[in-house]
Amino acid sequence: MRQTRPPRGSRRGTPQVRLRAGFVVIAMVLSVFGARLVQLQGVDPNSYAAMAAAEGLVEVDLPAERGDILDRNGKALADSVDGLMIVADPLMTAEKAPEIARFLYRELDVDYATTLNRLREEGSRYEYIARRVPATKANQVIAAAEKAKYKGLYTQHDPLRDYPVGDVAANLVGFLGTDEPLAGLERTFDDQLSGTDGSARYEVGAGNRIPLGENTVTDPVDGQDLQTTIDLDLQWYTQRVLRQTVQAAGGDSGFAVVMDTRTGEILAEADHPTFDANFPTESPKADLGSRALQDVYEPGSVEKVLTLSALIDLGLMTPRTQLVVPPSLQREDSPIGDWFDHGTIRLTLAGVLAKSSNIGTVLAADHFKAGQLHEYLSRFGLGQRTDIGVRGETDGLLPAPGEWTHQMQDRIAFGQSLSVNGVQMAAAVNTIANGGVRVSPSLIMGSATTDEGDVVGTDTTTERRVISEEAARQTMLMMERVVDPEAGVAPGAAVPGYRVAGKTGTAQAVGEECACYDGTFTVSFAGFAPADDPKFTVYVVVKNPRNGGGGGSVAGPAFSKIMAYALKRYAVPPTGTRPSRLPVEW
Amino acid sequence: MSSPVPQIRSRVPRIAEEAFERARLTVVPRRRTRAARMPFVALVSMVLVGGVVGLLLFNTSMQQASFAATALEGQSTTLAARQQMLEMELDRLRDPQRIAGAAQRLGMVQACAPAFIKLGSGEVVGEPCPAVASPFPIWPAEPKLPPELNPAPNVVEVTADPVVTRDDSADTAAGDAANGARDGRKNQQHQQSQQNHQR
Repeated sequence: MRQTRPPRGSRRGTPQVRLRAGFVVIAMVLSVFGARLVQLQGVDPNSYAAMAAAEGLVEVDLPAERGDILDRNGKALADSVDGLMIVADPLMTAEKAPEIARFLYRELDVDYATTLNRLREEGSRYEYIARRVPATKANQVIAAAEKAKYKGLYTQHDPLRDYPVGDVAANLVGFLGTDEPLAGLERTFDDQLSGTDGSARYEVGAGNRIPLGENTVTDPVDGQDLQTTIDLDLQWYTQRVLRQTVQAAGGDSGFAVVMDTRTGEILAEADHPTFDANFPTESPKADLGSRALQDVYEPGSVEKVLTLSALIDLGLMTPRTQLVVPPSLQREDSPIGDWFDHGTIRLTLAGVLAKSSNIGTVLAADHFKAGQLHEYLSRFGLGQRTDIGVRGETDGLLPAPGEWTHQMQDRIAFGQSLSVNGVQMAAAVNTIANGGVRVSPSLIMGSATTDEGDVVGTDTTTERRVISEEAARQTMLMMERVVDPEAGVAPGAAVPGYRVAGKTGTAQAVGEECACYDGTFTVSFAGFAPADDPKFTVYVVVKNPRNGGGGGSVAGPAFSKIMAYALKRYAVPPTGTRPSRLPVEW
Repeated sequence: MSSPVPQIRSRVPRIAEEAFERARLTVVPRRRTRAARMPFVALVSMVLVGGVVGLLLFNTSMQQASFAATALEGQSTTLAARQQMLEMELDRLRDPQRIAGAAQRLGMVQACAPAFIKLGSGEVVGEPCPAVASPFPIWPAEPKLPPELNPAPNVVEVTADPVVTRDDSADTAAGDAANGARDGRKNQQHQQSQQNHQR
């Protein structure tokens, strides 16, 4: 194309020259940028990233709230409260340490001398003053400290676990350590209770979040509540009655189980001695668990109920079957005696149970064919964990069929030579109450997964028939004779106005050191009421009473009180039918 | 510009010259129309100013919202903590232990086994009985302290004159109680030195 006009202002040079000059300038600038980029990213990127992050970027943990542990009515056995720890910076507090220490002593009831030392700690910039203070209280204290111009005190998140009922159900609920659950349901169901912590990253200017600044929030997932089948008020009453009973008898320890007959829900499971979940370190380690589930013991005569009900179920005997009971019975290795001296007496099967005769039971058990008693006892749930969600539960000890000998069967028939745990035995007696159907006990409402991966709770309740309904009814009628003032051995267990069926137990206990019967006893009473339409099964056990009492005189009255309270609390009227009049002698 | 036209004219027959002449293209004189610049400039500046001011206002309001959010978040935390405190207090108030204690202070006693009145017939079911006061310890047992927390008492036999010198100030009274054993030893030494002086 022909140049029509000469370029204006020739000083700019030709476009090619200008373009080249421009490219050179751009290249120079870009290489400066490039060099800077290499410097920033290549040489030491982390320090620059840290510097950038420090510039107003805040990262906070959003702690998940721990789920509560509730009783069956939603009352808290353990709950979480937003807590703070109060921390001091001794560099700032040392100057006014005595005043601040006095102030903190007044406000928080901390130890004056210890606090004073901490406030003056040399070379430290971080000292705990008080931990797990409720947030409201901690903020009040800090505000008051600021008002009084005390510097160097600040707070940090420190969630607080509160057990509002102290020692009530502490044996089941367990407790938390400084950072983790250490015992009981707290530990077993920690996954469900703890939830997942979240976090937030955002930029802050003058204490406020900068809008449009970096802002990432991962919401915390709060822990879920765990509802138990425990009835808080009944649990409290059971614990107090149990303690009174154990102390009055001079016993070492004891436990009591209250069970809903139809559903197998455990309404109360008391242990004595127990501990205050708010201050677990103040009690000996041995008291921090649940003896009803973690200890084994020989059930003694309570077990006769299971033996005799099996005989009736097999059609081998009836409550009126007549037995001649000699004063002593010589068996393979040793003579078997009764708890009371007698000559040769004539008892019915009901009388054997009412008078709790070992000899009578052994004679009756001779009718079993090999393996039958074992079969029945394992169907009653002995020798197997109840798996209600309490950690460290013992299996109990039911000799395997291979080890089962005839002389062992003699002793097992009246409750020695086999071991059980408390809830196992309560569930076995409850089978009689529930018309011969064993309903598996449960402690958790709904369902929950333990730390071992087992799903437990009322949703997983299983039922299985162990003896026929008629056999269960016959056994119940025999058990009613136990609390009869004339025929039975435990009139103290009666609940006035109600029909009560029960059985005492006084078993020789195995000592820890000698692994033999050490002369101490385990006394117990298991029963249910109203006998002809049972609502509750109560089982009370006292270990090593020193007042010479047996199951009837020690555990019986405790059974009566607990049962009366449960019947009153759930407004169960007496059935109004006539109690059993089965003959005990002939 | 005028040179090509005669050449064409020479080649074209002069039959329709008039029409041809009429159809000839001529350069139209360039008309310069100047659009008014003011409205456009005004519009652009308005958009610009409006945008900047709007952005500023938007930013300010965001900033305000952020202040409000921070304040409300603080308030919400405080209120949540307060709610939890109150719930804790409620749980403590309905602790069966506390209720039983209050009942006992009012002179209430344990009831015996329940009896029922059928409202229709007035019939009494069960055996009614009067409630009698029986000792029922309701307070939790003092824990049996583990040995670490329950050291054997440090008994110091003091054989000294009954001279009491109290130079402790009231402030350290609490400390005295806590460090009883240690103080006991200190007093002993103190008193022994006094004895030495007297001798």
